[in-house]
Amino acid sequence: MRMRMERVVVSMQDPDQGVKMQSQRLLITVIPHAVTGNDVVEWLIQKYCIAEDEALHLGTLLVQHGYLYPLRDPRRLLLRPDETPYRFQTPYFWMSTLWPAAELDYAIYLAKKNIRKQGALVDHEKAHYDQLHRKINHTWDLVVMQAREQLRAAKQRRKGDRLVIACQEQTYWLVNRPPPGVPSVLEQGPERGSCTARQVQMTVDFYKREIECCRKALGRTRVKSSVCLEAYLKFSSQRGPHDPLLSGCLPSNPWVTDDDTYWAMNAPSVAVPTKLRVEQWAFSFRELLEDPVGRAHFMDFLQTEFSAENLSFWEACEELRHGGQAQVPALVDAVYQQFLAPGAARWVNIDSRTMERTLEGLGRPHRHVLDDAQLHIYMLMKKDSYPRFLKSDLYKDLLAEAVVPLETKRRVFPFMWKPRHSSPSLALLPTSTSGEPEAAAGSPGGGDGET
Amino acid sequence: MAKEECKALLDALNKATACYHHLVLTIGGSADSQNLREELQKTRQKAQELAVAIRARLTPPLRDRGLGAEERAEFERLWVAFSGCLELLEADMRRALALGTEFPLHAPRRPLVRTGVEGGASGVAARALSARSLRHEGERDFDVEDLHQLEREILKVGEMIQDMEMKVNVPRWTVQARQTAGAELLSSASAGVSSVGGVSVQQRTGPCDLSKALAATIFSAVLLAAVALAVCVAKLS
Repeated sequence: MRMRMERVVVSMQDPDQGVKMQSQRLLITVIPHAVTGNDVVEWLIQKYCIAEDEALHLGTLLVQHGYLYPLRDPRRLLLRPDETPYRFQTPYFWMSTLWPAAELDYAIYLAKKNIRKQGALVDHEKAHYDQLHRKINHTWDLVVMQAREQLRAAKQRRKGDRLVIACQEQTYWLVNRPPPGVPSVLEQGPERGSCTARQVQMTVDFYKREIECCRKALGRTRVKSSVCLEAYLKFSSQRGPHDPLLSGCLPSNPWVTDDDTYWAMNAPSVAVPTKLRVEQWAFSFRELLEDPVGRAHFMDFLQTEFSAENLSFWEACEELRHGGQAQVPALVDAVYQQFLAPGAARWVNIDSRTMERTLEGLGRPHRHVLDDAQLHIYMLMKKDSYPRFLKSDLYKDLLAEAVVPLETKRRVFPFMWKPRHSSPSLALLPTSTSGEPEAAAGSPGGGDGET
Repeated sequence: MAKEECKALLDALNKATACYHHLVLTIGGSADSQNLREELQKTRQKAQELAVAIRARLTPPLRDRGLGAEERAEFERLWVAFSGCLELLEADMRRALALGTEFPLHAPRRPLVRTGVEGGASGVAARALSARSLRHEGERDFDVEDLHQLEREILKVGEMIQDMEMKVNVPRWTVQARQTAGAELLSSASAGVSSVGGVSVQQRTGPCDLSKALAATIFSAVLLAAVALAVCVAKLS
């Protein structure tokens, strides 16, 4: 985009078809090559056949990027479509030549300004000056020397030229180190960085690679969008009431009210879980296992069914997978002794083929040697124990005991403009007009969200 | 002695770099002309000569391991300033090349940017070369030849910087600058500048402004009139 702006600026310089130039009178000096905002806008409209607002916007972009600078109010970088005078920036200070701005150059500029203004720098410039002095302290001699010499060199010019050059430099630094509060045009938003398409050579190799890529893409298994979308809808409807942004969080949003009861009540290990949390365990087996409280209750349930060794085995395998490398052989051995050896204390029921494979792999233990067995036990628990858990009395009691936090009352003070509860909770409303199905907030049973 | 000589050379290089920077500012603008390109060439060649001389003088003391700590610190300070200056020069030379290629002087369909800077910069170049004035003697296609030359010179300077980094090992961050923050506000009279030839040249204050001449004549006329009136009054009374 910078190159296009520069081309526009260059085409404005055409002596016959460019923008009309005027002279600027300052007391006794006359400086040529001033343009009015009006002329710029008209020229843009005429040359590119665009509407006035577009021309104004384009002109403003030119000013904001420093290709044009206002002569009367140099700190306000915008294009006024009236008689305000502007002047073109010298190509040295264009973005393509001198970007990014160097710290040393900025230090020299600030030192020069310091000399000219006898120490009266603006606040943010003073802050930058001190910061630079700390950062590039080792070259500070050079900074001072260069600043003095550059000012002396400038004195060799006529007064008019000196003024113009000073304005040019000032504009450059206003664009590259904007004062606080002014948005920097140089910041690239997230979308700008993506168009870094380099010129690709359209050779035979390129096309061969493209064909190979497309062939592989055709071979990939795809899910029909109808299936995907159904799953997506189901997921959203199930999780909607649980999302704090969509459905509000009780007692109150800590970011708004500075009251962190919400976090305290939903801490990983809490004595009494909230109702929403208990309901979430019904969504999928993974949810249950990932929640420490849920896992603990599931373990209790399995103990009543005398199949707790499954979960213990699974937990031991997790420890192996995520634990330290040095502990792997010892851990594998311990797991084997406790769960897999014939006649072990807590023998787990794995089918013969998986058992054979696992026993073979035990000879050379690594952290993934028990993966097959772990998966088998996981699926066993999921298909067998988990549905029973959800139908069990234990779970129903948990649901009944689960606490629903009360919404904090609004303060009575009338001058508290800050709303205490900015995201109102739909969960407590009697009717749901948003069309969320009751099943989501209702029965916990039979909700295996995994497909 | 050696240190004072080095310091003098460094000041001269600093001056040349500052003047070169000032000249490069106007490339591509309305003040760009063949004269400017000539001045640029002369300034940068002078700067390069100075750089070679400084390097020749600074390298032996820094490679001498028997040097005292204070002396060494002083030389390191000079070295850091020197390499910084050289890097500034190289950066400006690169920009000059880029701008010079983009804004050739004699291309019919590429007008120069009308920036409002009009006057000549021979005073700046003269200051860099510590000369009274500058003669311009280039041929028509000077700028094209000059760009080729500039490319070669950039490569040379780049090599010199690289060589300097290899031969002399000065960790920059350990150097303590002598100037404090705000040092530039104290006596803007330069600390001991003496140019290379040992003769400090009086700088011309540039071509007299017409307005200044006018003001001077009016003032002297008024003064003469006042003197004449006083004489008349004295005679009559």
